[in-house]
Amino acid sequence: MSGEKIRLNTEWLCDCGGCHVALVDLHEKILNVLEAVQILKCPVLTDEKGYPEADIGILTGSVRTEHDRHAAALMRKKCRTIIAFGTCAVYGGLHGAGLAHSREEIMDHVYRHSPSTRTDFIPDNSVTSLEKMVTPIDEVIDVDLYLPGCPPHPHFIFEGLSALIENRTPKAGQESVCAGCRRTMVKTETSAIKEITDGVPDNATCFLSQGYICQGSVTLDRCLAPCPNHGMPCSGCAGPTMQVLTEPTRDIRTEISERMSRLTKIPYDTVKDHLERSAKTHYAYAMASKMIGNKPTFLIRKWIAEGEAR
Amino acid sequence: MLEMTINDKACRGCQLCLDVCPTQCFSFDVNTSKARVAILENCIGCLSCAFICPSGAISHKHHHEVKNFYRNIEFSLRMERFL
Repeated sequence: MSGEKIRLNTEWLCDCGGCHVALVDLHEKILNVLEAVQILKCPVLTDEKGYPEADIGILTGSVRTEHDRHAAALMRKKCRTIIAFGTCAVYGGLHGAGLAHSREEIMDHVYRHSPSTRTDFIPDNSVTSLEKMVTPIDEVIDVDLYLPGCPPHPHFIFEGLSALIENRTPKAGQESVCAGCRRTMVKTETSAIKEITDGVPDNATCFLSQGYICQGSVTLDRCLAPCPNHGMPCSGCAGPTMQVLTEPTRDIRTEISERMSRLTKIPYDTVKDHLERSAKTHYAYAMASKMIGNKPTFLIRKWIAEGEAR
Repeated sequence: MLEMTINDKACRGCQLCLDVCPTQCFSFDVNTSKARVAILENCIGCLSCAFICPSGAISHKHHHEVKNFYRNIEFSLRMERFL
């Protein structure tokens, strides 16, 4: 490595800011990173309003407003390598579920008819206007590298960043959250799907075996499985596994249904229907991405209409 | 020669690979609650086990790769850029 430090820009678009906090979660390791990197722009650290020329640009968040689109284009222009950082940048993220509703419905609910809102007007200045859709950033600009995760675990951030700095190929595992989970998957006689509020799940047995819906088996491991190891089923925040993304015949709901019906006595179709009824929750993190949204088997609007008709 | 390995740390002991394997390649170790490759010579490289495995713990090497004409090339190329 030469004496010159690598210049780094970061920018947040439509997101919660958690990905920037995850960078700080590197703890002492951040000192190693800072030895090799010079941060030029970072919304939580620097007072830089412009976009300086940089080697690496980390973009978090999806494109939701006109400002997001503008900022993404400027980052692309000024940075040599762009990393789509976090689930929002890679797949559109949690607010991708907004695709199931029109822009008018969302504005109306948030600013006018939300039960906790007293005022009754839609703001028309100080914020740039909402775009029609939630768009992952690779549909707006060219992206060089992807790091999903909500936020990505510092283990993967450090591995990714140090690989870039040392100019080597990062070790990108393709295992699912189950690979990092300590629970044992056993075949059981469970015959009904349970909600997480029903009883206390056993800590040593897989959620699927016990009848709780867990998305661990269809979610890429960029988190080291903290939720299932601490008593909460996986909600799929790091986005789907490679096989769900690339194989048109594989889908989040069918993969979970297949595994659950083999582990328990719950029929395949019962699990599938259950997942379709709460599809907005299970698909939220990745539905804005064409990889999931354009799947011929993904019929979110039909499922929501069926749910409302019920 | 075809190779098939199971990542022991990732194996959750669900035995789904034993269920789906058409040629009975696997056995189950009751003591450790992990699946093992018992008879590798049986493997026909259908990858059913790799697809059903909840953890993605089973990997194959030197198998005959069948071109998947359904697969979206653009998305598959994108997968190579994941950190």
